[in-house]
Amino acid sequence: MKETVPVVEEPGRSKILVVDDEPRIRDACRMVLSEEGFEVALAADGNEGVQMIREEHFDVILVDLMMPVLSGFEVLSYVRESHPDTVVIVITGYATLEHSINAMKRGAFDFIPKPFTPDQLRAVVAKAIKYNRALQDIADTNSRLKTMVNRLTDGVMASDRDKKVVVANPAFLHLIDYHGEPVRGRAVTDFDIGEQLLTLIDQALVMPDDTFTELTAEITRTGEGGERIVRATCVPFRGRNGVTIGTITVLSDITALKEFDRIRSDFVSMVCHEVRSPMNSMMMQLKVVLDGLAGELSGRQREILERVSEKMNGLTTMVSELLDLSRLESGLIASEKSAVNMAELFREQIAFHEANGARKEITLTLDVPESLPPALANQRSMEEVVTNLITNAIKYSPEGSTVRLMARIENEYLRFSVRDNGYGIPEEDLKRIFDRFYRVNDENTRAIVGTGLGLAIVKSIVDAHHGSIKVTSTPGSGSTFTVLLPLADI
Amino acid sequence: MSDKKLILVVDDDIDLVEALAMKLESLNYAVAKAYDGVEGFDKIKSRRPDLVILDVMMPRKDGYQLCDELKKSDEYKDVPVILLTAVTDAISSTNYTHMGGKTTLADDFVSKPIDLDKLMEIVEDNLR
Repeated sequence: MKETVPVVEEPGRSKILVVDDEPRIRDACRMVLSEEGFEVALAADGNEGVQMIREEHFDVILVDLMMPVLSGFEVLSYVRESHPDTVVIVITGYATLEHSINAMKRGAFDFIPKPFTPDQLRAVVAKAIKYNRALQDIADTNSRLKTMVNRLTDGVMASDRDKKVVVANPAFLHLIDYHGEPVRGRAVTDFDIGEQLLTLIDQALVMPDDTFTELTAEITRTGEGGERIVRATCVPFRGRNGVTIGTITVLSDITALKEFDRIRSDFVSMVCHEVRSPMNSMMMQLKVVLDGLAGELSGRQREILERVSEKMNGLTTMVSELLDLSRLESGLIASEKSAVNMAELFREQIAFHEANGARKEITLTLDVPESLPPALANQRSMEEVVTNLITNAIKYSPEGSTVRLMARIENEYLRFSVRDNGYGIPEEDLKRIFDRFYRVNDENTRAIVGTGLGLAIVKSIVDAHHGSIKVTSTPGSGSTFTVLLPLADI
Repeated sequence: MSDKKLILVVDDDIDLVEALAMKLESLNYAVAKAYDGVEGFDKIKSRRPDLVILDVMMPRKDGYQLCDELKKSDEYKDVPVILLTAVTDAISSTNYTHMGGKTTLADDFVSKPIDLDKLMEIVEDNLR
């Protein structure tokens, strides 16, 4: 658990009301408390006191229990009923424990027996003010949280260990087509949230306390507004001691996104069939001709056809990669994330690429701290990212150099970087390096085969993880790609 | 003639079927041709082939369907089927197998773009 930094709001001068029928006490209180910097108001009896409380807010009220007309008990009841934020301290004329206990039972915060010294008064008031501030802080935090949650366009619902609703924002209720009575305290099963979502909540509740996985599902709902596709994410919610005390469910309406995705997917299949298929058969036809099955070829004819063949191969590869990218992006809309042991993943990737490096006499090194907390990520996507970065580093480095993978924790992120001593990237190319099809074209890299999609794929994965990727480079001495990923334990 | 192995090629792209046929015939196979799944099944019933090369994406009945039908029939389940698929495994390392990754009962598959020489090796292997 992280410590939350309390937001300190400029506290105005605390207002204190003293209600006592003894002028001597009133004046003494005023003198002592004014000196402390409080704004002090006085009332000579219960009626006057209640009148003043009705007109303005007091942070603390000191009230004598034994007064004519309206007793301190009655003032106390009135304050407790209508001013929950106000702290009441009772002054007991004759120090009977019984009265004091009685007053505490009715909601007094503390008591002070007459006669009291200025120090006693200061102490009891200081304690009350502190308590009042804490109450105020909690109220402010709650109000701020409530406003935030209610303003979200995503649906958010928190439920406790017994699957009772603790809070649900309007967007959530709207997404489950519920527009009725308040939901707080009712069982989640009382609402039509669907089997899938109930299963997610159950799974989140039984998740072992030492693991953290974001459970997701895509749910199709048929409601008032027609068919809607909702992405649900459910995570366990843990208390101070790390034990699960409930779940948080987030719903996002992805209907439009899915529709867009469907159109794109149709387009992708169209390209697949309409462009790739003819290219395929053209290549087969060329091959048959080149194999001499359609008659003898002259040397010149063969030469030309071989070049045509080469160009078509390049085109086919590019179409394939473009389709891969497109598929990858649509898949990322709802890919499941969990706590990924990145240290392990780095070790596997380094081992996997060692042979590739060895072919160019390139050494791969790994620098990872002993205990690297897991990142919240999709395992396979992360393998793709790391593979791409290492492959690039090897590809764009001269023989005999070194490629370094380093990982650290930085703030709430896992930061890893892949550094090479390669050709480097000219400054004018840096800002476009993550663009699709963008390739640095100079004397060092001209001969290197690539489509310019690898880094675009890497960036779309990192973006989908709410992370970031940056590159720094010095031509002639190497490049460093740095990725920040959110940690699982946040 | 009769000792030549018969290979049925089913693809809706006529040019591809022709090119494949030329290559197969040059290697001394007999070739039957069909241009969609339904026609493919008719050809199989009229004369049992020794091997079927089957495109996945076809009108009327696609390659997966025809392959399933053959593999689930007592009569033709032993005929080797090689699927020609446009879906490469290039990104099977990521999650996105909604276009590929379909389980089939085919004996083998070759992804497009087709390496003709490799396809011929696979044909030979499956005829043994």
